[in-house]
Amino acid sequence: MSITPEPPPQPSSQEAPERSAEAAAALNHSFQDYRANSLWRLMLRRILRRRSAIIGGVILGMLVLVAVLAPLLAPYDPEQVLIGVESVRKRQAPCIHLLGCPTDQPQHWMGIDGNVRDQLSRVIYGTRVSLFIGFTTIGFAIILGTVLGAVSGYAGGWVDNVIMRLMDVLMAFPSLLLAIAIVNVLGRGLQNALLAIAIVNVPIYARVVRASVLSIKEQDFVEASRALGASPVWILFVRILPNALSPLIVQGTLGIAGAILEAAALSFLGLGAQPPTPEWGSMLGSERNQVFTAPHLVFYPGLAIMITVLAFNLLGDGLRDALDPRLSFNKPEQAL
Amino acid sequence: MKRKSLLFVVMSLFTLISLGLSACKTPAPTVAPPAAQPTATSEPKEAFVPMSVSAPDCEYGGKIKEIAAVDELTVRFSLCKPDPAFMAKVAFIPFNIQPKEWIEKNGGAGELLEKPIGTGPYKIESWNRGDSIIFKRNEDYWGEKAKAETLVFRWATEGAARLLELQSGTVDYITNVSPDDYEKVESDANLQLLYKQTPNILYLAMTNTFEPFNDVKVRQAIAMGIDRQRIVDNFYAEGSEVASHFTPCSIPNGCVGDSWYEFDPAKAKALLAEAGFPDGFKTSIYYRDVFRDYLPEPALVAVEIQTQLKQNLGIEAEVVVMETGEFIEESTAGRLDGLYLLGWGADYPHITNFLDFHFSKENPQFGDPHPAIYETLQAASQIADPAEAEALYIEANNAIRELVPMVPIAHGASAHAALKTVENVNVPPFRAPDFAVMDSGKDTIVFMQNAEPISLYCADESDGESLSACEQVLEPLFNYAIDSGEVVPALATSCEPNADLTEWVCKLRAGVKFHDGSDFDANDVIASWSAGINAADPNHVGNTGAFEYYSYLWDGLMNAEE
Repeated sequence: MSITPEPPPQPSSQEAPERSAEAAAALNHSFQDYRANSLWRLMLRRILRRRSAIIGGVILGMLVLVAVLAPLLAPYDPEQVLIGVESVRKRQAPCIHLLGCPTDQPQHWMGIDGNVRDQLSRVIYGTRVSLFIGFTTIGFAIILGTVLGAVSGYAGGWVDNVIMRLMDVLMAFPSLLLAIAIVNVLGRGLQNALLAIAIVNVPIYARVVRASVLSIKEQDFVEASRALGASPVWILFVRILPNALSPLIVQGTLGIAGAILEAAALSFLGLGAQPPTPEWGSMLGSERNQVFTAPHLVFYPGLAIMITVLAFNLLGDGLRDALDPRLSFNKPEQAL
Repeated sequence: MKRKSLLFVVMSLFTLISLGLSACKTPAPTVAPPAAQPTATSEPKEAFVPMSVSAPDCEYGGKIKEIAAVDELTVRFSLCKPDPAFMAKVAFIPFNIQPKEWIEKNGGAGELLEKPIGTGPYKIESWNRGDSIIFKRNEDYWGEKAKAETLVFRWATEGAARLLELQSGTVDYITNVSPDDYEKVESDANLQLLYKQTPNILYLAMTNTFEPFNDVKVRQAIAMGIDRQRIVDNFYAEGSEVASHFTPCSIPNGCVGDSWYEFDPAKAKALLAEAGFPDGFKTSIYYRDVFRDYLPEPALVAVEIQTQLKQNLGIEAEVVVMETGEFIEESTAGRLDGLYLLGWGADYPHITNFLDFHFSKENPQFGDPHPAIYETLQAASQIADPAEAEALYIEANNAIRELVPMVPIAHGASAHAALKTVENVNVPPFRAPDFAVMDSGKDTIVFMQNAEPISLYCADESDGESLSACEQVLEPLFNYAIDSGEVVPALATSCEPNADLTEWVCKLRAGVKFHDGSDFDANDVIASWSAGINAADPNHVGNTGAFEYYSYLWDGLMNAEE
């Protein structure tokens, strides 16, 4: 006995030519879209639709420009003491000619700090330090976290257990407290603060990557590579990791904001950047008690920290929205 | 495997049993019991057996040969060499008197560090670590009783924070107003600015047991390479001055001899090159972030010196802030390997308080002591007449200038502040404010100083915050007058020297009672002094065990091991 499959319903003789033409056109259009939309272009298009990401990106771009062009933008060397150079006194309030400050007085947009240095120049150079801290610490944390998370997720078993329990131990400590403990062991200073913040952030990225690896490694294309005899290392780094990048990028962008805050906190406590390095946290810390007598000395570094962290958070939120296929905003694209 | 399981079961049982037992314990009372004050023994009074403490001979180099109780109210100090500043030194608070029984009970440490028992106008009620110390009026005080029933000591490191508290009326009296705030205090109708007249010195010290500070040329280069006038002009209050000598000129013989080096960066650089460091070297500048009369802006001055060292000498110095107790301990023991910022406020009005303390043979804070300095000082300290001693002090000051154990920077002007409503407010030149005579118009007077005391066993403390708290509770044989700073009787009514000033017989005040109700007598004086100066005394323990004032002001501890 043979079973004959039921034939698909046939369109009526009149509708048939029209519908098939529409379907062909739609299919053709989809294929064209697919060719045009590589993964990165698609991502960029989604990001550009998110206003928060654009605002964050623009602010960040400006901050990067300020950091790069600091020697051109800053009116003074950030470490130059102006005693004997200009007639200024310590903690002098801002003098802006446009706002009525006498023109015979030297102009200092953000005033003078306790050691008689130009506050604006120090805030501008502080951008370099903070962005450097953010990118290097998170870069280090991502690299180490990715390797640990990928190995852990792909290998499974006792390797997974050992690595992830170690990560759990690290995550069990409040991050700033752990960073303070690490700096106390290694010694104070910017370099050790960077290392401490990076170490504190490693578990976050290890967990994110492990979760992605766990889901991707079971997919058909990975199975196919395995069946074709590819080595585990090749599969992990060439087939799996590139597909696990999206959550990592989002987490990394948000993480930079946290790292900048942590570095500022360490410097505020005197454990990070040391004098005379112009770092926003240490600038805040050294003049924290002048909040009523010389508010400009705490206001501007605080504002700079806020703007930078806000930029990274906005960008990170935008990236998350753009790269998360579960969000309704991305559903039409998901159909592709 | 079985063994492991058994072990696990046993451990679990132990844990459960201990949890059960702890649950069965009587719950702690919700109201804390009143602070325990040690009480005097109620046994019948034993016959007075006079005590004494002595060194076998004067070979140990110190000044004190023997301290002996002659009778209940007479003590005799026998000295190895004359000391014209004897009375001024004895009046200093580290040489306070506590009950013999209390010292022995605590073995020279323990509760002695937090609950001193004295004879002063206030007694300790409680010390809430990190927050405040509460004192209560001593109703049995031998002198005029304190005006306010309760005295509270609080602390804040920053001048701005102290001033805020004063302006809001939560404290009555604060120390060390920031120079930037003088105008603000003077223009405030509710506050009064109280200028302080205590001679002081800020210095940049070097320990000559560490390279490259073992080279006198390096030290001289630093002495010439720092523009001290620039520091005073920019970071000190009006009235402060650049130090021409270690000791301020207001102290007799303080500034005799050559003045300090003029600022000369070219010569300094040449000296540094001669020493083998043409491009400078790397070092650290250590300091503590505590406001002092001699250093109102510690962090700013440290960074300013860092800048000058780099600009003028090519020396790259890292600025390192340390916790105050650790800083004092490390610096005074000569363990800091770089430069450090420390200072001194006069404790009593005599040059020995500045020079003998810092440059004596026993003091390791600048490394190996210099015989050219300490031998001259030892000879000078035995001469009562300042005019006669002048030649020796010229020699000593010139030796300090030549050998540069430190660089004297500034004599700082400073001021305290109080609410206008506080009456009899005072700023004594050689001691902490006397709160017993002040009247805040309330039952309580609240004082805010720069930092928390390290301990209240002031025989073994040297920081001002500890001493100022001790001065409310404890008393030495003599004291300093609030206004003039002159030595006035306290627990002793008189001390009479012999002709060559090597023996002092002190008559003690009768009828004085300690805070625990016990009677004050000559044996308490011997026990207190012995715990400090006699290294072989089992009660010679203290907080750090350094007993700096006993050691430095009396040229060493007796019966110390070689």
